[in-house]
Amino acid sequence: MSWLSRLFERRKDELAEEIRTHIALDVSDRMNRGESRSKAEAAAAREFGNAALVQNVTHEFWRWKRLERFAANLRYAFRTLRRSSGFSITVIATLAVGVSATSAMFTVVDGVLLRPLPFKDPASLVMIREAGKRGPLGYGSPYLDIEQWRQRSHAFSQIAFYSNNTRRASFLEGAAGAMHVSSASVSADLFDLLGAHPALGRDFAPRDAGGSVTGDDKHSILLSDTVWRTNYSADPRILGKTVELNGEHFSVIGVMPRGFTFPFTGSNFNGMPLVWKPLVLKDEDALRTHNGAPSYEALGRLRAGVTLAAAEAELKAFQPDIVKPYTDAADREDADSISLRSYTESLVNGDVRKALFALMGASALLWLIACLNVTSLMWARATARKRELAVRGALGASRWQIVEYLLMEGMLLSGCASLLGLGLAAGMLKLFEHGLETQFSIHQSLTPNLPVLAVLLALTIAGALLISAWPAFAAARASIDATLRQGSPQQGMGRAHHRMRAMLVVTEIALSLTLLVGCGLLLRTIYALKHVPLGFRTEHIVVANMTIPSYKFAGRDMTTALYQPLVDRVKRLPGVESATLLTDVPLGKTFQMIFTFDPEGNSADAIRRRALQAQFRAVGPEMQQVFGFQMLRGRFFNEDDTPTSQAVVVVNRAFVKAYFGDDRDPGKILGESLVGFGKNRRSVVVGVLDDERQVSVAESSQPEMEVCIPQITPESMFYKAAEGMSMDLAVRTQRSISLVTPELRDIMRTASPDLSASTFSTMDQIVEDSFGSQNLAAHLLEIFGGSALLLCLAGIYGLLSYLVAQRRQEIGLRIALGAQQWNVMSLILQQAGWMLVAGLGTGLAMAYLGTKGLQTLLYGVKADDPWTAGAVTLLLLVGGLLAALVPARRAARVDPMDALRAE
Amino acid sequence: MLGRNGYRNRVELLQGTLDMLILRTLQWGPAHGYGIVQALRTQSGEALQVETGSLYPALHRLERQGWVRSEWKQSESNQRARYYRITAAGKKQLVEDLSRWEQMVAVLGGILKAAPTE
Repeated sequence: MSWLSRLFERRKDELAEEIRTHIALDVSDRMNRGESRSKAEAAAAREFGNAALVQNVTHEFWRWKRLERFAANLRYAFRTLRRSSGFSITVIATLAVGVSATSAMFTVVDGVLLRPLPFKDPASLVMIREAGKRGPLGYGSPYLDIEQWRQRSHAFSQIAFYSNNTRRASFLEGAAGAMHVSSASVSADLFDLLGAHPALGRDFAPRDAGGSVTGDDKHSILLSDTVWRTNYSADPRILGKTVELNGEHFSVIGVMPRGFTFPFTGSNFNGMPLVWKPLVLKDEDALRTHNGAPSYEALGRLRAGVTLAAAEAELKAFQPDIVKPYTDAADREDADSISLRSYTESLVNGDVRKALFALMGASALLWLIACLNVTSLMWARATARKRELAVRGALGASRWQIVEYLLMEGMLLSGCASLLGLGLAAGMLKLFEHGLETQFSIHQSLTPNLPVLAVLLALTIAGALLISAWPAFAAARASIDATLRQGSPQQGMGRAHHRMRAMLVVTEIALSLTLLVGCGLLLRTIYALKHVPLGFRTEHIVVANMTIPSYKFAGRDMTTALYQPLVDRVKRLPGVESATLLTDVPLGKTFQMIFTFDPEGNSADAIRRRALQAQFRAVGPEMQQVFGFQMLRGRFFNEDDTPTSQAVVVVNRAFVKAYFGDDRDPGKILGESLVGFGKNRRSVVVGVLDDERQVSVAESSQPEMEVCIPQITPESMFYKAAEGMSMDLAVRTQRSISLVTPELRDIMRTASPDLSASTFSTMDQIVEDSFGSQNLAAHLLEIFGGSALLLCLAGIYGLLSYLVAQRRQEIGLRIALGAQQWNVMSLILQQAGWMLVAGLGTGLAMAYLGTKGLQTLLYGVKADDPWTAGAVTLLLLVGGLLAALVPARRAARVDPMDALRAE
Repeated sequence: MLGRNGYRNRVELLQGTLDMLILRTLQWGPAHGYGIVQALRTQSGEALQVETGSLYPALHRLERQGWVRSEWKQSESNQRARYYRITAAGKKQLVEDLSRWEQMVAVLGGILKAAPTE
């Protein structure tokens, strides 16, 4: 800053010299007129007036005065704060806690909810889904319906569609073996609708009025930038080359720009790079039956000025007309209405949104608590410095200058806290990386970016104002005269000041209680979730999720050619107790297949069974040994269930209940023939599983049907759907996952090089991840709540210690007049008592209102659970009284002689 | 702020007239602050005593606006002094100020001298 002050100084010096010259000229003129030197000098000085003031006023014309004062204030604030380093460190650390929590949470919110989509005007993009008496359908719509919307709707400028069946990996053959990609099939006008165009080459060009791709482009493909760079080393000559995707040949027509991703769901779930195939209509697309016609996701762009509601109303009006040609009445009823959702919104499910808002709110509360705590400290400091400020006022500082200086101090503290907080936030994000990524499927790195820094800056300024504005204005308003006349600097904290600080502490207690109640509720939720009887054992199970280019096994039975030998080798590994194949482990989210009946007729049974949606799983006979679940009736699969033996299925209790309407006699279903494995190969039910949590820990058991993998041959109807996609390998072993994984990976690589990309996890981890949003929220709230509790207790302690120090003489006098230790202590404890009661009372009301928003995140506990509220209140009460005990004991130990002598 | 309120232009010149007077004085040649005060006093027949508290701020304001330029030179009494010189922009400004001033005098004169009409 020295060059700056030198600059100021030079101009100041010149001005001073100019003024000196003026006076000197005047003096010599007067002396020329015959006055004596001393007389002339006096007259000249008098005539000139206040030279310093002239200099100051003139200097201000150069507008540097402001900057100069700013610099001086900053320098002075820095010096004072460094002198009272204990105070500064406390303030900075406290504020940093609040700032770090808020900016970390905002980083997550920004990454998940506010993430800018790489499309033109993403706000007008709308997902169109059919809906019916069962609510919005969980899948897309047949082409014929989409075609009708395209023709009839005026609310949309464009409607495009794509196939969302991209969760499984596709295999793009390259120089270095097959690359796992996800391939979406898109209608020819989809990219046009998104406003995205290839950075290299061209879009799918020839298109018919219906939007599907026809002609030569049927075998064209668009690559994403990532695929182009990793697989083809960014070679621009790729255009026109032929590539092999899942064994099919495509010619590359273009490369999409860097950062372009679509769709955001499904495929991107695993963060696989994308390629886009043309959506070519087939014969089945002329059908309108569920399971018969392929379903597509429809994406529309609203015309300018059309609202979502208006568009929905328009489509709803003619949807009943559109579904008339449905041959099946049930299918028709399922699709006779429309549900629209903004595309941006459809990317984040409601639970995640809720969890994020709850956490964002919690972090904001923590920030507020931190600020209140610091405000209280600043009050105390301003009071202690009353004399200093009064002296400044007496020396000519204007009120505004004092306020400006105090604000500068606040700004400096807040700024340092924000820098520290930024570091803490980065650390916190690192710590919760796994949870955040699995819960919010964030794949970009979570580092504070520009919007986050903007928020941080806003927090810094708001924090500085919050902590210093109030004390500063109060200090500036104080009368200089009265303050200077007062004796010791310790005296003179008026009742109003004191009440103000007490109010701050009361607010802090109330906010902390709210935060802690929320934290308590989530902890109870986690406890409840962890103690849900899952129906199977989770410990010591290693799970591998395998993805395999099934087209390479075309014409062969993957079970006998690949999987079964693999399992046999795994079983022979040392320390492996048992191993099984299954399409997806319970609570796993890698594969889902729903089984539905098509019963004819309108009997009560038929209607009920039509509504039955069962989880479908193909499993190995060893599954029972690995997961150790119970059979309710009948038997599980065993070695005797072979491709040639009687086809068998196993269902669970929930299935029985949905099938018969009750589960009084689960054995009744044994021997029923529910499903055919192929021509003339009906299966029978041989066993009923007891209930298990297979979809999510919080949801009760869903109907489930299991078939035995060895019985599923390529001819049977489930083969392609179940085995072709993905397969999990579950291994029960006492050895640790880190030891077993390399050995398993070795076996897989030997079986097929494509399997080396399999991912490994443990069953415990999968269970933990399945209630992850609650788990994550609870862990974060633990940190927020714990910090809030500490801050709050520090606030109580700080205020009471200050009071005791301030009332030392009074207390000494009381003791001298015969007050007992207990009387003195109760004096202080009473003070703590009313603050706690007021704070806790307000806090309980706030918590009651505030935690209502948490309801959907909770499990096994109600938002207004009195036990949680009670326990948290007790915790704060005991903690608060303990914090008050220290200053109370100090008060009781005041030596009356000592205290009174100080007077 | 304390300083500004405490230091008004006590000469009670009409707003903006000081700038005009300074520029006018500088038209006869460069001058330092003291010289300008003396020149104005002499020309007004000792009636106008410009306060330094108004003069120096005005001079620096004019310099910042680019109407005058300053340099350090030796004075006739062999003293180093800051001399102000009117610039081309300053001359243009003065012409404008003068015509506005004359207009105002005419308008005010018309009002003040008009006979009251019943």
